[in-house]
Amino acid sequence: MLALDIRNLNKKYPNFELKDVSFQLEKGYIMGFIGANGAGKTTTIKSIMRMIQTDSGEIRVLGKNMAEHEIELKQEIGCAFGGIDFYNRNKIKTLTDVIKRFYKNWDEAAYSGFLRRFKLDENKKIIELSTGMKVKYSLALALSHGAKLLILDEPTSGLDPVARDDLLDLFQQLVSGGEISILFSTHITTDLEKCADYITFIADGQIVNSAEKEEFKESYLLLNGSENELSRVKDRMISYKVNSFGFTGLIRSQDFDPSSGIKAATPSLEEIMIYFAKKEPAYV
Amino acid sequence: MYNLVIKDLKLGINRMFFVFPALLGLLMLIPSWIYFLVPMYFYWITVPNMFNNFKTQNDMMFTSMMPVTKKDMVKARVAVIVILEILHIGFAAIFGVIHDLVYANLNIGYQFFAPSMGFWGLCLVMMAIFNIILIPMYYKTAYKFSVPLILATAAAMIYAGIVQWVGIENKSMSDIFNVTIAEHIGLHASILAAGIVLFAAFTLTAYRIAVQRFLKVELL
Repeated sequence: MLALDIRNLNKKYPNFELKDVSFQLEKGYIMGFIGANGAGKTTTIKSIMRMIQTDSGEIRVLGKNMAEHEIELKQEIGCAFGGIDFYNRNKIKTLTDVIKRFYKNWDEAAYSGFLRRFKLDENKKIIELSTGMKVKYSLALALSHGAKLLILDEPTSGLDPVARDDLLDLFQQLVSGGEISILFSTHITTDLEKCADYITFIADGQIVNSAEKEEFKESYLLLNGSENELSRVKDRMISYKVNSFGFTGLIRSQDFDPSSGIKAATPSLEEIMIYFAKKEPAYV
Repeated sequence: MYNLVIKDLKLGINRMFFVFPALLGLLMLIPSWIYFLVPMYFYWITVPNMFNNFKTQNDMMFTSMMPVTKKDMVKARVAVIVILEILHIGFAAIFGVIHDLVYANLNIGYQFFAPSMGFWGLCLVMMAIFNIILIPMYYKTAYKFSVPLILATAAAMIYAGIVQWVGIENKSMSDIFNVTIAEHIGLHASILAAGIVLFAAFTLTAYRIAVQRFLKVELL
């Protein structure tokens, strides 16, 4: 079953456009949604949450059309935007007391359990929480109202490596039961190397690729070679950098001829993102 | 809708603004004052602070993540504004009655409107004018409130100024509102009823326009 199914999403702004955004997230998995700043990650997430009106396209959550079942489906979605605080001068317990009224499946015992597990003090104000604790509080709220789909926009930005690793472990624990799915946008690709099952890559408002993580990485090759070798593959490369030793560049695996003798390796997610960012937007 | 109202009352609005109407109501005890000023504190102090808090606390994004409709978001916000307006006028009216009791045996002359049923009707019309300008204009963006607030405040104050000026200049109106209140109780009750009807009609219209506008607003 698909936890999230996005098809042909379009949204035009004067200076930016989401073009035919489509991707699917299987239930029980973590999808990393990567792209440079301004690539369209938050716009896509806001479209899913119906905070912005799309020009066309369809969004289905847990098999149901979001446009037709928005209120019902929002009961099943937990959403957090990294770096944005709400009512941060209020205590956790005051905020929770207000939020829980909106959810019919609110589980007080589960909430207390998550507070203990995440070491959250109900009497602390939101502003007193560290960035990592704020994300954990958002997760505690989402999981206590029985959210089956967690949509997290840059949840790890601003976290130190220890807090980030801790959170990524938590994400993996959450999906291990097979009931919860996570769409997790970030530009910190190392986070996804650790915990994502699927990767969706957006650049300049368009989905470049959406696939299982290893398959995603293996669909590209990082080439290293001399300047002479570059001339043989230049036209087929996504982008490349020339240095005093020759060149390094990214190419689609299908466009590469292994018999060419050029050294090729599987790139990291970061390398894929960097080389796509260097490419002319019109060819993305 | 009820949960959204509770959210605004518990999170969005400082408790001080619920005490304010009672404190400001005390101004009604100043003899022969310009009592139109008392409910004006609502849009001079409460509204700017309240809207600014909603903006700085990212209330719109917070609320839009909840399982609620945009229509209910507007309905709840309008309900909260109305609750505060009624608190302001209600407490002023209560202190108006206390004013009458305290000064019953004193021969106070009124240059401006004395507290009376008819006067509270005029105050409700002032709030109606404020609402019909502020609410639809604010929901064009749902975050820019300065221009809507300035225009709504100006319109409400101009209305109050004109009505008060007529109340001073026109001898018969001055008598009805300041001297022979008891003899014109029916007229006063009618003005109050008309004020209530206009307040309800303008606020409902403001709500309907606001919903239509807010449905097109993008929460960026």
